[in-house]
Amino acid sequence: MTAADPDTTLPLDPAVAATRGIEPPRWRRLGRALRSFVRRSPLSAFWGCIAAAIVFVAVAAPVLAPYDPLKSDFRNMTKPPAEKHVFGTDQIGRDTLSRVIYGSRASLTVAIGAVLFGTTLGALWGLASGYFGGRFDLVSQRIIEFLQSFPDLILAMAIAMALGAGFGTVIVAIAITRIPFGGRVIRAVVLSLKEMSYVEAARGLGASHLRMMLRHILPQCVAPYLILATTHLGVAIIIEASLGFLGVGIPPPTPTWGNMLADSLNAGLVPPWWLVLFPGCAITVTVLSFSLLGDGIRDVIDPRLRGAVSVRGGKSAAI
Amino acid sequence: MYSYIVRRLVFGGLTVLGVSIVVFAVLRVLPGDPLVAIFGPEGFTKLSDAERARYMAELGLSDPLIVQYFHWLGDIARGNFGRSFFRAESVADMLSRRGPLTAEIALIAVVLSWIVGIPVAIISALKPNSLGDNVSRFFSILFLAIPGFWFGMLIVLACLFWFGYRAPMAGASLFADPWTNLQIVIGPAVVLGLGQAAYIARMGRSSLLEVVREDYVRTARAKGLPARLVISLHALPNALLPVITLSGILMGFVLAGSIPVERAFAVPGLGFAMYIAVYERDVFVMQNLVFLYSIVFVMLNILIDVVIAWLDPRIRYR
Repeated sequence: MTAADPDTTLPLDPAVAATRGIEPPRWRRLGRALRSFVRRSPLSAFWGCIAAAIVFVAVAAPVLAPYDPLKSDFRNMTKPPAEKHVFGTDQIGRDTLSRVIYGSRASLTVAIGAVLFGTTLGALWGLASGYFGGRFDLVSQRIIEFLQSFPDLILAMAIAMALGAGFGTVIVAIAITRIPFGGRVIRAVVLSLKEMSYVEAARGLGASHLRMMLRHILPQCVAPYLILATTHLGVAIIIEASLGFLGVGIPPPTPTWGNMLADSLNAGLVPPWWLVLFPGCAITVTVLSFSLLGDGIRDVIDPRLRGAVSVRGGKSAAI
Repeated sequence: MYSYIVRRLVFGGLTVLGVSIVVFAVLRVLPGDPLVAIFGPEGFTKLSDAERARYMAELGLSDPLIVQYFHWLGDIARGNFGRSFFRAESVADMLSRRGPLTAEIALIAVVLSWIVGIPVAIISALKPNSLGDNVSRFFSILFLAIPGFWFGMLIVLACLFWFGYRAPMAGASLFADPWTNLQIVIGPAVVLGLGQAAYIARMGRSSLLEVVREDYVRTARAKGLPARLVISLHALPNALLPVITLSGILMGFVLAGSIPVERAFAVPGLGFAMYIAVYERDVFVMQNLVFLYSIVFVMLNILIDVVIAWLDPRIRYR
């Protein structure tokens, strides 16, 4: 189930194949890959653009937000959407649009941080455990199984609660729940790669373990890792929002989508609709764009991974 | 078969033991001083030394960690789940009073996910890339992306807005007052059920598409069986096996998902208790609830494995 066997990998662009000897510059290869991605799945490319736009909004938040997300305005409390405040204001007069815009920062930072730490750590662990096998593999598999015996929101809640509220702890809490998925998927890939003849040839030439892993096996794991990581970004965003909603996320003054939803419940007996609608839409659109982008990457890079990653990566999103 | 079940159970026992170590490590060792976790850093500094010592002794926290761990396991084994640090309610009370509500929600959600998910899967697998397929795929992806608790909040708002209806707040048992009980559980069950249905539809679709290509299905078609019978009698039973496995996994995630969803609907279930425990930093309740949830999760997965092995003769009980 890997991108390994040479004759079934992504068919080489004839133009690239012709110039095999003289590799085109890196940026041109990247451009070509992007173009072929857009051609093959325009819909995912569209969602990829939306994902990029969300990242842009997060980066440019101070420029884009019309108001200071923390500044309260006691003359405009709990006002419905109007010309001045397009998304309305919350119970202490903070502008909802600005808070939604700033909320993307928290969500994306946490999601990217958690995936970078968690999925990557899991992937490296899976690489080592698949490569070395034996007792190390056995113990690693058991530990991963223990971690997977928790529904991941519960594990994240427990860790976030134990470590105390904060940006870093939320990242760590979500990252730990991502480890088993990275570990499992990459280990399976490595197990089949290990048997390939080119790996054996490298071993025959006397390559060291480290060189074998990094130089010969790791590059083949990049595709499944990318697919996994994009899918997990969406999952991580939902977990982050749930943690915020449950009061163990990033502590309150910081605007996050989960915090905003939790706040709306305190805005009176009946939460005003604009305080509920907009943050949730932001979560949904962000998660949707990342997961569709992930699906697209998977279909283009390796159609045979269809199902293999999405089911494992996806089952955790049942929140 | 029996030896397979026994082996799965022994293995499950080992997993539960490992889980207990993880829970203990996370909730007792990580926070450093549990009193800090309970009182918060500010409250902790206000405690006098004598008070600290008294609380530590009272909670059995002055023993070495390993002793504490075995005490805890012993308590659990004797069915003593401890009690909240802040409330009079013991965890056992919580389980018996709130547990049934959450269990009902989970069961209805699973049934609903099958009722909705399987027909959608069949419709999209019968005519891949048709309009119906694309619409149902879009909705399943959409429901994977919608956070359940937000969907729940929207439903609560919509009911209030358009019908002026609000579900009753107080818990009512299924037998004493079935109507009130139904009104309480139906909202979270629908939200969680639809979320799961999305997974089931996706999984069911791809698994049906695979099975439909097999030789025996073609044979059934060739001998002139109507398409309806080919699907329902020949293809579906095999295609459902992976869906059953998935459903078992999802069941655990319904338990977790019910925490924010119960909060959104203000349902007095076990998930809500867990939310309160987290909110109040009630380490002991949290520790026991997390452990119990994971035991249920592990057991469910063993049950599903056994059911699958029983349904599918191709699986050898190695």
